[in-house]
Amino acid sequence: MTDMNERNKHANGLEDALQSSLRRQDAPDGFSARVLARVTAQNSTPVRRVSWLTLFSQPIIRWAALAAVATAMILGIHVYNLRREQARGEAAKQRLMLALRVAGSKLQLAKAKVNEVNDGENKNRQVKE
Amino acid sequence: MAQMTNKTTNKKNTSKMLWLLLLACPLLARAQDVKIPPDVEKLSARAKETVEVTMDGPMLRWASKFLSAEDPDEEKAAKLVANLKGIYVRSYEFDKDGAYSAADVEALRSQFHSPGWSRVVGVRSERNGDNVDVFFKLENDKMAGIVIISAEARELTFVNIVGPLEVDQLADLGGEFGIPKLNSKSLAKAGKGEHK
Repeated sequence: MTDMNERNKHANGLEDALQSSLRRQDAPDGFSARVLARVTAQNSTPVRRVSWLTLFSQPIIRWAALAAVATAMILGIHVYNLRREQARGEAAKQRLMLALRVAGSKLQLAKAKVNEVNDGENKNRQVKE
Repeated sequence: MAQMTNKTTNKKNTSKMLWLLLLACPLLARAQDVKIPPDVEKLSARAKETVEVTMDGPMLRWASKFLSAEDPDEEKAAKLVANLKGIYVRSYEFDKDGAYSAADVEALRSQFHSPGWSRVVGVRSERNGDNVDVFFKLENDKMAGIVIISAEARELTFVNIVGPLEVDQLADLGGEFGIPKLNSKSLAKAGKGEHK
């Protein structure tokens, strides 16, 4: 019984403490004015945005960019020339192979004609024998 | 004073002559080359299909750089053209008989009656009118060029390969590129006599 009383007393104490700390309290004088003043001050301060173009204000960056553009251009021209050379080379190769094919086929024709004549001569010889 | 003027004029004339000689050298060298008669060149206008290949030494060297070593045909072609000085091909295919004259063919053939050239194959077929001539150019007992003139009813082909060419390579030329192998013995046989 004594324990029960003790516990109730303790609970009441906690409840009182909570009530006192959560009780409605008026803001101190001039609080809202101070808050408004701070908000106005924050809005009026200009936000400084840094443009990427400002990077080029530094000479080293300027030279580096120039060098990069020049390198890209040289590489581009080199690749273009290589491709053009490759295409011309391939065309020349095709022409060469075509010439060899024509030459080969005509030599083959010569061979066929010679064989035809030889076969005819052989047949004639056999008939005579 | 007059002597001085003469000397200057002579010097000018000598330098002019030298310049003319320098300019004429390549022309003289070319004059010895095989020429394709203008009448034959004009045949392309009448032809249904024309193949014209003109490749001199530097062009051959350059083109052979693009031949692949992985492709057997191209590998053999590279070996074949390695020492050549030029390949010239004119092939005209017509859609009717008699598009070219016998004189056109004779104009081509007549260039190889000169010393240095020997006709190895000369086939005249009266049955279908197909004529094939193969000429070899020999220099110091070595083949220095080959010319093939094939005159068929509807096709006229002229092939001139300039430069040293081995007989084996010649056989390869006939045997590769999808064409059955050429037997060099048959060429030698044909060389003994002209068949008509």
